[in-house]
Amino acid sequence: MSATLALGRRSLTEAIRQPDALFMTFFIPIFFLIVNTGQAAELFPSSSTDFLEGQGYGAFQLPITLLLAASFGMAALFLVEEIEGGYFDKLRAMPIPRYAMVMGRLIAEGVKCVTIASLIVLIALPFGITIASGLFGFVLLVGLTALWGVVYAGFMQLIALKTRSAAATNSGGLIFFPLLFLTPNFVPRDMLTEPMEVAATFNPVTYLMEAMRSLILDDLDWEKILPGFGVVAVLGVIMLVLNVRMIKRYD
Amino acid sequence: MNERAGPAILAEGLVKHYAGREGTVEAVRGVDLEVSADEVFGFLGPNGAGKSTTVRMLTTLLTITSGRAEVAGVDVGADPDATRRKIGVALQEAGLDPRQTGRELLVLHGRLFGLSAQAATKRAQVLLELVEIEDAADRVTKGYSGGMKRRLDLAAALVHEPPVLFLDEPTTGLDPASRLTVWDELRRINAEGTTIFLTTQYLEEADQLCDRIAIIDDGLIVREGTPARLKADLRARRGGDQPVTLDEVFLDATGRTRARAAGEVQEVTA
Repeated sequence: MSATLALGRRSLTEAIRQPDALFMTFFIPIFFLIVNTGQAAELFPSSSTDFLEGQGYGAFQLPITLLLAASFGMAALFLVEEIEGGYFDKLRAMPIPRYAMVMGRLIAEGVKCVTIASLIVLIALPFGITIASGLFGFVLLVGLTALWGVVYAGFMQLIALKTRSAAATNSGGLIFFPLLFLTPNFVPRDMLTEPMEVAATFNPVTYLMEAMRSLILDDLDWEKILPGFGVVAVLGVIMLVLNVRMIKRYD
Repeated sequence: MNERAGPAILAEGLVKHYAGREGTVEAVRGVDLEVSADEVFGFLGPNGAGKSTTVRMLTTLLTITSGRAEVAGVDVGADPDATRRKIGVALQEAGLDPRQTGRELLVLHGRLFGLSAQAATKRAQVLLELVEIEDAADRVTKGYSGGMKRRLDLAAALVHEPPVLFLDEPTTGLDPASRLTVWDELRRINAEGTTIFLTTQYLEEADQLCDRIAIIDDGLIVREGTPARLKADLRARRGGDQPVTLDEVFLDATGRTRARAAGEVQEVTA
């Protein structure tokens, strides 16, 4: 555990010392929140749009903003840089548990996502967005965002470990588009066209988004919240098993 | 420091195959080695001969296809974690985290080898002074010169005072002054009882530093002995009193002419 924490602390320092990367992780999602809300808010006035539960359209858009912020996978890009530079081999030649080499970065990614998600929500509050499920809901919302960030970074790490190439890892990040956009990100699932609804139903991120949206727009509605946590739990276990297996077989 | 009875490094029939695009690549085809404790052992060979692959197998970074290896009395294949506790490794690229300072890197390595925070901090300070980079200790390594990076890499490999040190081309790319500094450092480390296994492209380096050398070519050991012995053998085979250099031994052992050695490079990588 101490190796995991030591490597986690190092990864956090790494992120802090690359402020331009942190800035983009924060700035791009906020930009999309403003643009998407600005474009569609008039179509969906809060007074006559049932699915907004009395809030503005920005509240409906907040989950995609948070998911976007958590889906940059910077941890994987730092990892591939380390593989290319030789430091990864230096770590592999040390008597540290292989899982620590995976978990250290992911813990740091989790802490980073908690910070960024909290900041985004806090920035959103003065613009009339409220977390209807209260303080506990806020904690769940930030936690769910961070867990997704960890899972996503973990899958990106798999690409980094497999390809050992920055270009390939970057390209792997393109998976982010279908995952985040084949979802009910502009309207609820039952308002999507049929093909889109089918795609969204098969996309696990949909359940995550709906859980987050529920935390923002409703009181604690566990029927909507639990599937979101279920998705990150299942994907998280798969991601961890694959990462540890990959790093143990790394030759 | 070394109280082991057996050899510091033992390799028996070490083989490494890779699956390449055009079939199996036999990078190492049956290497036998025995390195005594406290020795500086030089491992030479042309590019792609199997030097780095052998080092990576001995340091647990590559799985062994067949054969066996022991380092500091530990079976490398059977107990890689115990092997890692006994070795220090500085690979071809000075693998450093560019966003950590020299001090942070050494403290982290100390912690990863199980030292307490206080002990790791103390050890880092000792090593920073030893490799003479204490002035740059609190700067991130990204800005270090090539020589400073090499010296820090060497210090990082020594954090846990390993009985066996593997150095893969530790002076490649260094200016002559930095190279001499690294040589002095290696002599000092060896005098304290650390076995050093060194790969190098520089034959003068091997001649200056190594008690014994082995030359690998095409995945097989083709010469082994002390530099003086190998030179004497070649002189005897040639006849006459002309002095023989280690370069000539190398060219003779690998069947290369000077022109071919300069122009024909084939790299085999993991």
